[in-house]
Amino acid sequence: MARASFTILKDAGNGLCKTLSEILVCPLSKQPLRYCEETNSLISDAIGVSFPIKDGIPCLVPNDGKIMEADDTPKTDDSVDSSSTKN
Amino acid sequence: MRLSIQKDTRTWKWLPFSSLFLQHTVSDTGRFVVLTSAKPSLTLNDLLSLGQHRVWKRMAVSWSGAKMGDQVLDLCCGSGDLSFLLSEKVGSNGKVTGLDFSQEQLSVASLRQNMSLKTCYKNIDWVEGDALDLPFPDGYFDAITMGYGLRNVVDKYRAMQEMFRVLKPGSRISVLDFNKSTQPFTASTQEWMIDNVVVPVATSYGLAKEYEYLKSSIREFLTGKELEKVALQVGFSSARHYEISGGIMGNLVAKR
Repeated sequence: MARASFTILKDAGNGLCKTLSEILVCPLSKQPLRYCEETNSLISDAIGVSFPIKDGIPCLVPNDGKIMEADDTPKTDDSVDSSSTKN
Repeated sequence: MRLSIQKDTRTWKWLPFSSLFLQHTVSDTGRFVVLTSAKPSLTLNDLLSLGQHRVWKRMAVSWSGAKMGDQVLDLCCGSGDLSFLLSEKVGSNGKVTGLDFSQEQLSVASLRQNMSLKTCYKNIDWVEGDALDLPFPDGYFDAITMGYGLRNVVDKYRAMQEMFRVLKPGSRISVLDFNKSTQPFTASTQEWMIDNVVVPVATSYGLAKEYEYLKSSIREFLTGKELEKVALQVGFSSARHYEISGGIMGNLVAKR
């Protein structure tokens, strides 16, 4: 499986290019995302959803999102339905 | 040999047929086409479009107004054809974000990026996302391109709204796709080419299904005038749809 190329601005150990993580927002709430190193995912605190990163490519299709428990660990059984979370 | 092309629809329409044999480049202003003798190796898109897709894509990039240092977005980027052209335009101080719905296509794009000897391609990032719910902040991009994507989105108005939202004021979108022609001759030529060139060639590559839907997809698409109208309704200050290659392809250019 090919890996995405990382720019020289990538932080060591960060699964995502630094400048990319700075521009991305939650596709549903349009609020900033937070990178979670532990789960290598992007967290939307505004709606409590985490989006995975696969091979360095952030997966920000609304249905890719997973609803998070209160303790911040993503559940694996649920997925986000964009029609139910849109304002 | 240099051709000076004026920006009116009649001339643009007949432009790229000579790309069958010679490679074209289009200047930043979109006014000149320089013919050179070099020709890269053929791909399936070359066979399907009789070599012309390369010129259409260069034209789309020129029309977007992307320039050195810009932050640009390529929607429905697929395996990255437009993204790579944009990468060369914006240079190492610029940034290209290629967005597509398909993880598979993005993997191919990423592989092409890694395998290329061109170091400027390092300025491209790939994002899996939905053109109807873009994961970018308002007013961020200096230019947006979309190649053969708008026709396939379920809600064209919403896609245009999202493009408008993430575009910087004064910047342009450039949307390349099949043209839904109102001229019967053009429409039947287009359908003939799909039936007698595109589908047979695609079938020999095992891709018949992917291309057989094309005719109905074009019939359900919006005409150039309708696309201009939607763009203006969404809020773009100007919108112009250019027909190219005898009217079988079209490129919408709209400015925020």
